[in-house]
Amino acid sequence: MLLRLASRNLWRNRRRTLLTLSAMVVSLALLTLSLGVFSGMLVDILSSTTEQYHGHLVINAQGYLDDRDMYLNFPSDPELLKRLQQDGEVIGSSERLRGFGLVSHKDRSYPAELLGIRPEMEKTVTKLHSQLIAGTFPSDADPNGAVLGSGLAKKLSVSPGDELVFVTQAADGSIGNDLLIVRAIFSTGHSGHDNSLILVPKAWLQQLMALEGKIHEIALAVRDPLRAAEDAQRLTSQLNDGLKATDWGELLPEMREAIASFDVSRFIFVVILYFATGLGILNTVFMSVMERTREFGILMALGMRPLQIRLIVLLECLLLGLLGTALGLVVGLLLSSYMALVGIDLSGWITPVTYAGGTIQPRLRAIFEQRNFIDPAYMLLLVSLLAGFLPARRAARLQPVAALRED
Amino acid sequence: MLRIFPALLLLILSLPHPLWATDLRALVRKAEEQYMGLSSKSRMEMRVRSEHWERTLVMDAWSLGREYFLVRIIAPSKERDVTTLKADKEVWNYLPKVDRVIKVPPSMMGGAWMGSHITNDDLVKANKIDEDYSFSLLEETAEHLLIECIPRPDAAVVWGKIVYEILLPLEIPGKVAYFDEEMQLVREMIFDEVRQIDGRNIPLRMRIQPTEKPQESTMIRYSELDFNIGIDKSFFSLRNLKR
Repeated sequence: MLLRLASRNLWRNRRRTLLTLSAMVVSLALLTLSLGVFSGMLVDILSSTTEQYHGHLVINAQGYLDDRDMYLNFPSDPELLKRLQQDGEVIGSSERLRGFGLVSHKDRSYPAELLGIRPEMEKTVTKLHSQLIAGTFPSDADPNGAVLGSGLAKKLSVSPGDELVFVTQAADGSIGNDLLIVRAIFSTGHSGHDNSLILVPKAWLQQLMALEGKIHEIALAVRDPLRAAEDAQRLTSQLNDGLKATDWGELLPEMREAIASFDVSRFIFVVILYFATGLGILNTVFMSVMERTREFGILMALGMRPLQIRLIVLLECLLLGLLGTALGLVVGLLLSSYMALVGIDLSGWITPVTYAGGTIQPRLRAIFEQRNFIDPAYMLLLVSLLAGFLPARRAARLQPVAALRED
Repeated sequence: MLRIFPALLLLILSLPHPLWATDLRALVRKAEEQYMGLSSKSRMEMRVRSEHWERTLVMDAWSLGREYFLVRIIAPSKERDVTTLKADKEVWNYLPKVDRVIKVPPSMMGGAWMGSHITNDDLVKANKIDEDYSFSLLEETAEHLLIECIPRPDAAVVWGKIVYEILLPLEIPGKVAYFDEEMQLVREMIFDEVRQIDGRNIPLRMRIQPTEKPQESTMIRYSELDFNIGIDKSFFSLRNLKR
């Protein structure tokens, strides 16, 4: 009976209810949409750093990450690689050797970072092969094919087919030098990588640096990048002494902070928006309670208890909230799926921005993340109940006699 | 009197200092030039000791004045004919394995030369110490002079200061201490085995000791040294670099 009363009351002043309802729907829909776009940006920037260079986590010799000392290497171990690949969470793995030195073409020379890889393995961890602007990604059989960043290629003025000379000090102190052939040029939007990174065959670099059979790291891709920290901890405990797995959050503390600050700003955003919406609901319910003072007086005179009055008002709010949430979710889903499928391309106006070590692509694109829908929905329900609390209390505290006398 | 007074004051203020400084500058310059003469040819042995390896290079070197310098590796055979040319402010390396000449870019000038504790910058700038620094006397005894060299405000140098020891009475370098911008001692260069060659007193051995890595060092020792050999600028060309 209370429920029926509440729902009837709700539709008595249809226009007012619809207005409040639309405010709820719009705020929830926009909230889910913007959170989706936020998440999209975050995933972009996270994948740009992890899938363009580091991988979700890396295994190195203890201390290597501090200053990338070339002597902190470890032997390439097929057994270890196999064990890693069989891990349920690991979806990709790549052995790498890293070298710093001077790369030169004709009379131009620049410092560069060389990453010795096996192309087919590297493809399982990073996505550089899908960000080529010229040439084709070399195969495993290529003895000296190089893939370099667009900025570096421009500075050296090379294109696929051109030859590069790389010079560095090898691990035995000798002057390592050899020729590379440019096979492809990538452009990630990350100025650091585009301006200094070169992928070369691992065996070629091992020979040049006098580090045969040695590697500096194993980069891994995992199923859920946001849980990479747990994977890193688990893997470290399985590794030999002296080896350590490090997740992207540790590799890029600024990125972890960016994500944490995103969570905070998301919360603030939700609170502000719902505060406004809550005031709107409060207003509606208060008005309807005031209008019905006499009615409540009669109900009470007929024997309805204050608690039941309070419940009626709260039920009205809850119904309004449920309706608003349901509609809001539907509209939000529709808007988000549009933004997820089509998105908005901003590349005409802005260029990629490097932020917190990652790259924000010039596009607005939403992604679906459960909590971007569930959190705002629950909060909207909570807000409607909270907004109903004051009017409900007021209605429950009415004195029947005084209420009846009201105009 | 009034007119003469400021002029006198100026004279008194300015006179002693530049005279003194020129003196020290000439001393340092002379010590540095002992090695080079107008032109020179030498054979040297460079032993580099680092934390992870130790190796010895045998090299032939030619120089002309302070501007031109060419070094060619003779041994070990793996690096034979790797050649460095310094012409004015530029450093070029020739790599026989790939048959290419590479110019060392400005950003790499601080890098090690041939894996030693000498930087490319040392090759370019070390011989210009008298132009880039101003000098003051720290200590004078019968055996040596200690000269403090402070970079001039406009000089593009990497050191915060250099303390130069000149051994008396031969006026040859003894120990040179290099300090970074925080005035921390970074490395020392120690000269010894003084011989007389062509009427010059030359320390034949030079050791570079990085302060933070006591187990590492670079030692250069001249086994042959000839002066005024009659070569000109054309010898120090990119073409000759390749040979």
